[in-house]
Amino acid sequence: MEPIVIAKNLTKSYTKGLRALDNVSLTVDRGKVLVVMGPSGSGKSTLIRTFNGLETFDKGELNILGIRVDSSHDEKRIQKIRKRVGMVFQQFNLFPHLSILENITLAPVHVQKRRQAEADEYGMYLLSQMGIDSHAYKYPSQLSGGEQQRVAIARALALKPELLLFDEPTSALDPERINEVLDAIRKLAEQGMTMVVVTHEISFAKDVSDQVLFMDSGKVIETSHPDIFFSNAKHERSRKFLNQLDKH
Amino acid sequence: MSKINIYSLIIHFKNLKKTLFSNLFNTTISFLIIVLISVALSNIFVWLIFNANWKVVTSNLPLYAFGSFPANARWRPATWIISLLLLSIFTLCGPKWKWLQKNLLVAWIGTIPLGLYLLYGGFGLSPIMSRHWGGLTLTILLTVCSSILSLPFGIILALCRQSSLPLIKKLSSTYIDVMRSVPLIAVLFFGQLLIPLFLPIGIEIDRVWRAIFAFTLFVSAYIAEDIRGGLQSIPYTQIEAAKSLGLNQYQIIQFVLIPQALRIALPALTNQSIGLFQNTSLMAILGLVELLGVGRSILANPEFIGQYIEVYVWLASVYWMACTIMAILARHLEQRMSINQAYF
Amino acid sequence: MKINQKIFLQLGIFIIFFGLMGILINNLTVNLARTGIGFNFSWLFKPASFALAEHPLPFTSSDSYAWALFIGWLNSLKVIVSSLILATLLGALIGFARAGKNSLLGFISAAYITIIRQTPLLLQLMFWYFVGFLGLKDNMFIQLKNIFSVSNQGIEFSGLTFSSEFLALLLGLSIFTSAFIAEVIRGGILSVSRGQWEAFRSLGLSERKGFIRIILPQALPAIIPGLTSQYLNLAKNSTLAIAVGYSDIYAINDTIINQTGRAIECFIVLLVSFLLLNLLITNTMEIFNKLILKSRKYS
Repeated sequence: MEPIVIAKNLTKSYTKGLRALDNVSLTVDRGKVLVVMGPSGSGKSTLIRTFNGLETFDKGELNILGIRVDSSHDEKRIQKIRKRVGMVFQQFNLFPHLSILENITLAPVHVQKRRQAEADEYGMYLLSQMGIDSHAYKYPSQLSGGEQQRVAIARALALKPELLLFDEPTSALDPERINEVLDAIRKLAEQGMTMVVVTHEISFAKDVSDQVLFMDSGKVIETSHPDIFFSNAKHERSRKFLNQLDKH
Repeated sequence: MSKINIYSLIIHFKNLKKTLFSNLFNTTISFLIIVLISVALSNIFVWLIFNANWKVVTSNLPLYAFGSFPANARWRPATWIISLLLLSIFTLCGPKWKWLQKNLLVAWIGTIPLGLYLLYGGFGLSPIMSRHWGGLTLTILLTVCSSILSLPFGIILALCRQSSLPLIKKLSSTYIDVMRSVPLIAVLFFGQLLIPLFLPIGIEIDRVWRAIFAFTLFVSAYIAEDIRGGLQSIPYTQIEAAKSLGLNQYQIIQFVLIPQALRIALPALTNQSIGLFQNTSLMAILGLVELLGVGRSILANPEFIGQYIEVYVWLASVYWMACTIMAILARHLEQRMSINQAYF
Repeated sequence: MKINQKIFLQLGIFIIFFGLMGILINNLTVNLARTGIGFNFSWLFKPASFALAEHPLPFTSSDSYAWALFIGWLNSLKVIVSSLILATLLGALIGFARAGKNSLLGFISAAYITIIRQTPLLLQLMFWYFVGFLGLKDNMFIQLKNIFSVSNQGIEFSGLTFSSEFLALLLGLSIFTSAFIAEVIRGGILSVSRGQWEAFRSLGLSERKGFIRIILPQALPAIIPGLTSQYLNLAKNSTLAIAVGYSDIYAINDTIINQTGRAIECFIVLLVSFLLLNLLITNTMEIFNKLILKSRKYS
């Protein structure tokens, strides 16, 4: 199996000695889905954001799609990674001054230097995949949260990435809008997309993930198959966390 | 602890390296800047130490501070300035006792009558005419008096502009808009010229008070807009809450709206004071011998002719220092206001 | 408040206000009558009998006061427009440096901003005039084949001459305003959320491209109102021209008052001149703003 993400002993300290990441190591193989769970402030967002260079780290080593990155945070390599890795944010982060279709075609045209017409065509295809092609010429503020997040997924897919990162994609959504986004992500998983997903949605994690990674205060507490993690987690800390999630 | 500090220092150094020398372009720019700064700084340093003739400053220090105030009475403005400085230091670094903090505001307001008494004289001190006032003393006096006078005017104008009565609204908004569209120097100049024309025969106001009056007319229009901004950012629920408590309209204004609006507008208001301090320099070309005016009159003295750079650099550093002190005091006040309301 | 109460209150204020105005105007007429000047505008068409060093249109001392005032207004406009352009360029440069990642550039621009903002404009103008230009010796020429020369008379550039007065004012106003514009621009850039930076980076857009395509279009709507008010300040500050002897609208009003004593009429003339200048600036900026909004269909 071909590994897409290899992290070795990633460590990141904030000033005052707090550790955002503490010796984190993991591997994600091609076509697999890793779900990252943990209480807020546990470093899961920081971890996923190191994968495309939005966060730096002080020690350890990353290998994304065969491109090695260390703490020197080489700009050229990060740039190479970003062209092959897509990311979806909690707050959508759509560009408010661009139409939905322009949001999607911006990177293909300016990063991959594709023709506008070609990019438009593929953008429309992606939008129809997400079931929102009727909104192509609207602006982000005219769409609901769930629709905006599906646009954000389409935008991330436009570069035909080999790895998709999701940073709590449903945390900013109304409860009745969560499923439309989760369904879109499920579909991608079925198509064999390699993904790392930070989420609190247990049933979604059960369905989709090949592996669950549980973090607390910057450390990896356990990495398990979802069947084991959700029914019989190895670690006391994980069980406590799952109990609390259930109560909500 | 020390280990952690060293570690964070290393991180900091790494970041510095990253931001300055991350690629060829940044490295070149950083290098060029470092060279340019070093050359500029060394030249300035050489000039400051060896080439400049500081006699034009050192032999005229009392003039810069007090203008042509009679030499035997210079202790009076000196006392005032020193008490202001001490009060600043006390406000910033003094003990944090509650009763003291409350009385600090009284002390600050008290400096105004104290200053006026020390300058004017009377009640045991020999009276001194305002035409002898000058230098930094006059600059501070103009700033302090105009600031204090324009605050209530500004509040009234802002409230009138927000009023539901169309006539009052129109009058105050016309005043504010006209004042804000004319240059300050015009207001000051015509203040000197026109105020006597509008007064009945026999009543005269001296130049200093005409200047303070003109500054007040001008600055209160700006303060009014700052306070209006504060008023508008108070959510309507505050007024509803006050109404539901049975407060009447004037009580709502007094206890709910004005305190909150002032707190929101505070940074803008302190900026107005700092701006006013700088703008008092305009009086130098309108006949008052304040700080910049003293500089001009010294430069007109044949003994010091042509020493522009020394005088201007010296004046700039005095203004800069004073503005910085005001800014630090302002930030201190803002922090205090955000913690408790001891000042109001 | 009841409607009756409202009307009475307004009536009361109306009476107090106009009563006060009446007293003031009465004093004024008494005082004017005493000095024997009166109030009228017929003097505007008498010959000015003073010379102007700088006039974009022909002017001789036999031309009327009105023409002199118009020339002064044009002189004001000339220095305002040219410093406005220079200040914007300089301010943008410093604002970007201040908001950028290079900490050395950031530190230098912060130092520039504090030094310029915390010293009086008048002092800076005097510095540029007396030290920057009059400090040059008249025999000190920096010449390039007769195309470009600098002296205490000003700058001559292939037939175009700029007086020292104009240049000192231009330089002083531009540098002073640029420090404020830099803060406006920095504020505009900081008003764009961090998520937007992360989003374009995660798409592989370069910093330069992302800044131009994503950050700047969103920062501009926040920058334009700040710029407009800085431009209005610049226009008002240009009246400090009198300190360096440049004949702008205010300086000419000053001269006329010294000659004729017509302070009130001149104040009205100045007011109207500035209303025109302000209208010009705000309307131009409004057009500019609309152009930007046109390309921005979102709310």
